[in-house]
Amino acid sequence: MRLHPLRCLPALILVAAPAPEAAAQDPALKDTFLQAKALWSTQGNREEAAGRFEKVIEALAPKAAALPPEWVQVLSESYNWLAVLDDRSPQTRSRARARFEALIALNPDFEVDRGITSSKLSAMYDTLKSEKLASLRLSYAPEGGTLTVDGRPSALLPRKFLPYGTHKLSYAKPGHASFETVVELGPREAKALEFKLTRTSSTLTLFVNPSGAEVLLDGRALGHTKGAAGPESTALAAKANLRPEDLSEGFVVGDLKPGEHTLEIRASCFRPKLLKVGRELTEPMADHLLEPVKLEASKGLLTVQSPWEGGELFLNGQSYGSLPVDKAPVCSGTYDLLVRFPSGGYSSRVEVLEGKPLSLEARPRPRLAFVGLEGTQDFTGRARLLSLLSSLGDKVHSVAYLPSRPGESAKDALARLRAGREAELFLLASPVPDKVIHQVALQISTFEGEEERLVVKPLEADPLGGLIQRLNALPPLSEPSLGISLVDLRGEAPLVLSADPMALKAGVIAGRSLTALNGKPVTGVLAFRQALAETKADKASITQGAAPLPLGITREALEIPLTSSRYVYPFLLSHLRLQLLGARGEEAAQLKLNLALALMHFRKFDKALELLRDTRLAATRGVSQGTLDYYTGVCFLKLGGVYISEAAQAFRAALKAKDATLFGPDGPLVAPLAKAALDELKL
Amino acid sequence: MIPTPARLRLPALLLCAASAQAPAMASIEVPPQDGELAERLLRSGERAYVAKSYKEALDTWNQLLQSAPKTDQAAQALLLLARHQVVVELKPEAALPLLDRLKAEFIKSSAAPEGLVLRGEILARMARKPSDLKDAIAEFNRVLDLFPDHAAGADALAGLGRAARDQGQWGLALGRFTEAYRTAPDGPGACRSLLEAAEILDVQGDLNGCLRLLQRIRTTAPQSPEAQEAAWRILVRVRHRIQKPPLKLEGPWPAGKVKWLKTPTLLATTAEGLPVVFQYDLDRAFLIREGEAQPLGTAPVPGTRAMALGADDSLVLVSTKTGVSRTGGSTPLPPLIGAPTGAFLDRWGTLWVSDAKNAGLLLVGADGTTRSLPTPAAVALAAHPAGGAVLASDGNRALLVVNPEGQTLLSIPYGKDLPTAFKNVVALATDGAGHIAALVDGGDFGEGVVVYGPDGALLRQATFKALGISGRITSLALDRQGGILICDRRNDTLLRLN
Repeated sequence: MRLHPLRCLPALILVAAPAPEAAAQDPALKDTFLQAKALWSTQGNREEAAGRFEKVIEALAPKAAALPPEWVQVLSESYNWLAVLDDRSPQTRSRARARFEALIALNPDFEVDRGITSSKLSAMYDTLKSEKLASLRLSYAPEGGTLTVDGRPSALLPRKFLPYGTHKLSYAKPGHASFETVVELGPREAKALEFKLTRTSSTLTLFVNPSGAEVLLDGRALGHTKGAAGPESTALAAKANLRPEDLSEGFVVGDLKPGEHTLEIRASCFRPKLLKVGRELTEPMADHLLEPVKLEASKGLLTVQSPWEGGELFLNGQSYGSLPVDKAPVCSGTYDLLVRFPSGGYSSRVEVLEGKPLSLEARPRPRLAFVGLEGTQDFTGRARLLSLLSSLGDKVHSVAYLPSRPGESAKDALARLRAGREAELFLLASPVPDKVIHQVALQISTFEGEEERLVVKPLEADPLGGLIQRLNALPPLSEPSLGISLVDLRGEAPLVLSADPMALKAGVIAGRSLTALNGKPVTGVLAFRQALAETKADKASITQGAAPLPLGITREALEIPLTSSRYVYPFLLSHLRLQLLGARGEEAAQLKLNLALALMHFRKFDKALELLRDTRLAATRGVSQGTLDYYTGVCFLKLGGVYISEAAQAFRAALKAKDATLFGPDGPLVAPLAKAALDELKL
Repeated sequence: MIPTPARLRLPALLLCAASAQAPAMASIEVPPQDGELAERLLRSGERAYVAKSYKEALDTWNQLLQSAPKTDQAAQALLLLARHQVVVELKPEAALPLLDRLKAEFIKSSAAPEGLVLRGEILARMARKPSDLKDAIAEFNRVLDLFPDHAAGADALAGLGRAARDQGQWGLALGRFTEAYRTAPDGPGACRSLLEAAEILDVQGDLNGCLRLLQRIRTTAPQSPEAQEAAWRILVRVRHRIQKPPLKLEGPWPAGKVKWLKTPTLLATTAEGLPVVFQYDLDRAFLIREGEAQPLGTAPVPGTRAMALGADDSLVLVSTKTGVSRTGGSTPLPPLIGAPTGAFLDRWGTLWVSDAKNAGLLLVGADGTTRSLPTPAAVALAAHPAGGAVLASDGNRALLVVNPEGQTLLSIPYGKDLPTAFKNVVALATDGAGHIAALVDGGDFGEGVVVYGPDGALLRQATFKALGISGRITSLALDRQGGILICDRRNDTLLRLN
């Protein structure tokens, strides 16, 4: 980056930027104004010209206080022209004075156009002005700073007209100590004031593409660039192959003390730029202009897919349309990603890196709606518990949490949520009736009615700790496997108890110790399982005393526990139901089996059977079709004597599954259990 | 045989915690003031109990029973009083009247499910033969029928599993234990159920299934007592049945201890796996703990020929001079027992005794009744983990596994799978994992040790000559590291084969 000493920029009239709504004027009004001037100066059509000037005044005068300088000038000139036109006709001459009075009130520093204003009329204007205003001559050294009068920005003019009285004026310029003074102006008094500033530091002026970038000096935020550079910056912009309007207005970095500094310019969606400011720019103190700073765009490619239908992607609350979103260019940065599904939602905080693709699969999470605390009975700790319940979503990442609506009763909330199917899970808090309330029951229920109750004490250290822990816990549905079973031997490497055909083919020897996994010694089965779970590749090597044997890593199915205090079963049910909506083939069949187990937890054996009846698993080892057949038999048994023959049929099917197990690959074989069940049926 | 259920071994301090988890299922209508008083009395008693002020606690709960007899807390008090009799007083029979009242008057109370399970467990423990389990089974089934959603259901299922196991219904027992585990995999009895299921799988011939389940205990609950038990059960099975390394003499056991005993003649193993040795010159049995011998029993028993240890490590010595000696005293030798060759106590407390000269095994029940099983005369006897016995019959030249009805389940001819046969069996030993070890002599094989699996297959063998042992070996025991301990009475030493 080359740096240039600051060239003399055209004198800028620096005034505070007006509010956007005030600045916005009808462009046609400007045309009306120009037409009015042309009608009179070129055609001598005074009436038409006056009419148009009147229109301009009519439009601008009511909002004169909020007009930007450009439009103040238009309004001021309109008054001037109308005064001149009024003065031409005896019928309207008397109105000229009112025009000038309005003009002086609007813009005391306005100088009438002596070329169109008669000397008599000019004298009247001067007289009117001198009756109300005092004249103040001003000089600025150096020029180009900002002037404020009575706390309001003011144009840099050599002479200002101010009402009689006391005024506070200050003049400031980056790199200089500001100057502030108070003047007392009396009737018909003319005073002069000289602003002479002392330099205190160097300055840098930046023009940045894009506008709106944040500027930081030595890590300290200075502000954002704004606006667009004017035509006077054409040459400067050309150096960066840009048009002036592609650059921001000049951003002045003041207070650049002697020494070295770091300037950082950053903008969302662009790669930040760091500039080293050397001593040559700060010593001696001077103003410098930097070559245009062009930030390079920084985007990554985001792909979001889902096997579930109807998902809509939101990044930081902004919609990016329906899924799938395939390689969408997205500004690099961190986003709160949300996919809304017809049932459930998926949310995650993601970081999009520049030039990198980010791909993820969105699986919906159940929506848990807190419907409120039942009743209005006050008790100690009520507010604390409600506050904790309201912020439960911050700590539970496995559900999309919907806090209760202020003022809505639990009953109404439940009715609303049910009617709109806005949630899969409901959380209702109910004080446990007692003379003094010390316990609150938290009831979590599914849309379908399966529920679980947890009693908490509002004043205990962490009333929701247990619930949060359980809501965040999900049982694994599969685990990595090399197709071998191991057993621990005290003080020795684990022994390979058995191996599946693939592992045997690869050279695994059952009955021999396994000494290493991926070249690292194995001390026990638990350590082996942990190391295997941490293996990222799809293959691993094991050592049994000779050369390492490469084995493919597969995943073995697991059952969810039928009852466990580690999980919230209504949540588990909702989670599995949502997963099932997007699953196909074997994965769907495994999910159905686990969903059936979750229903068995609630003793809904008929519902479990509905799932199991038409489900077929292709797997024949471990948790597989034989497992499913066995549980089908168990469910039929639970339904009573009517289904005895169906139960026997299911157990007979399970009996044929020689390699099927319960719980997981290391669980008991199904066949002997099925045989025992059949034997019992014969009793 | 796997030891007593955890429920009956609960530390007293856990009782309060157990009772505090009473679910909201009570439907007993009581005046509010009675309920409040009952609650205060219940908690007051619990506080005293935690402080081990048992008398105060029991008085308070009895006061509760009198002052608020219709409350749910009264039912809980009955359960706590019953548990106290079982756990602290060690008088399970004294708990039964309390539990009977709980069952009769408070069947709808929150304490009823646990009360019924406890009653079933006590009845099962008091049973002296398989048919005695009928009432216990009914009680467990009652819990499942009346309280299908209650956490006590898992305990009831485990109780049914144990009953089925003790009745030799292995398939049914496996199903019950598996269901008990599946019903409450995080519960206090889950690992125990899994351990029982694993042992049944081995009995059924599924060694890999057994080992996988044992390993599952080690993986899922590595700190549990069951995991420790699973560890040795895995180890001995792998050593004897999978690795089968050649037997080697490791040397004196404990290491370095030579000539420290006085004519050791008999060996047995406690439920904890510690060896007990009978020293003939001292006429007493000694427990070997941390390398030191601690005397067992109160008085010397001269003429001891057989030794048995109960599940609770109670000692029984069978002597030709003093008869059958127990902790409480001695009884004369039963008829037909003149030359006892072996003895053991089964799960029912029945003493099994073999005699060298008389055919048949004599069974002496806990109540003193005797019966005999029609078997050949046995020169050695040991308990079989499946519930019967293994005996050595020199006359038949076979090891016989018999069930409690005297049926021969397995016959292992002397010398089976060996290059040369032996002629006599000197002693037998079994472990809780189905292995049978025999001290043999005579024939071309000569003195040595053979180890057979549950199916009668030869697993390991060695002659003393090959091992370099020259003493007089009279007894043996299988240890929990896959080794064998033998008594050398000539050198007053225990030796370990590994």
